[in-house]
Amino acid sequence: MAVQIVMDHNGDTRHVFDANNAKELARAEKRFRELTGAGFTAATRTGSGDAKVIRKFDPTSEETLFVPRLVGG
Amino acid sequence: MFGRARDFATAQCRELVTNSARWAKAFSDWFREPGRAREARGIKLLREWLSPEQRAQYDRFGYFDVTGCDSGKRYRIRHGTGTNIYEMDDAGQTRTGWCFVPDGYLVAGDVVLAQKIALETDEVGALTVAKHFVLR
Repeated sequence: MAVQIVMDHNGDTRHVFDANNAKELARAEKRFRELTGAGFTAATRTGSGDAKVIRKFDPTSEETLFVPRLVGG
Repeated sequence: MFGRARDFATAQCRELVTNSARWAKAFSDWFREPGRAREARGIKLLREWLSPEQRAQYDRFGYFDVTGCDSGKRYRIRHGTGTNIYEMDDAGQTRTGWCFVPDGYLVAGDVVLAQKIALETDEVGALTVAKHFVLR
């Protein structure tokens, strides 16, 4: 199972999906497009544990984190 | 003509109701769940995404160091929700402060994790929106 983690007022919200299920995969891709379109940055972790920003939905990614747009504090 | 205006108004009303419902649910969730649970979830997520060295440093001192992906500079991020990023010099002393945060209300763990990812993957972009603060 893969997971999309969205940072929000609750800490985070997790959307788990089966990457082998076409319907769930399509829903995950739609969520990816909507969130990145709304200004969220999508990041995954590499094998060595480093964060990597992705601009395109990756159906093989097991974990994708969505971070809201940054603003000056 | 009238039909089109009516459809437009209906769509606008529907969107307003949907958005209002979403905000009401977000507020309701926020109000009902204890703050500690949200904070704990943020810290758990942060710890999952820190490197082993950063995790050890964070657990011990309440801060961790990251290397900017563009300049190679070292930054120290303290647990917090603002004015918590320090640029370090070669001697390991704090030089200056930077402040940028993710938009919206987020718990400290999420804020710190967003800052780490930004500096490690898009340092220039992060510092472009950041505000500078002077250390005392």
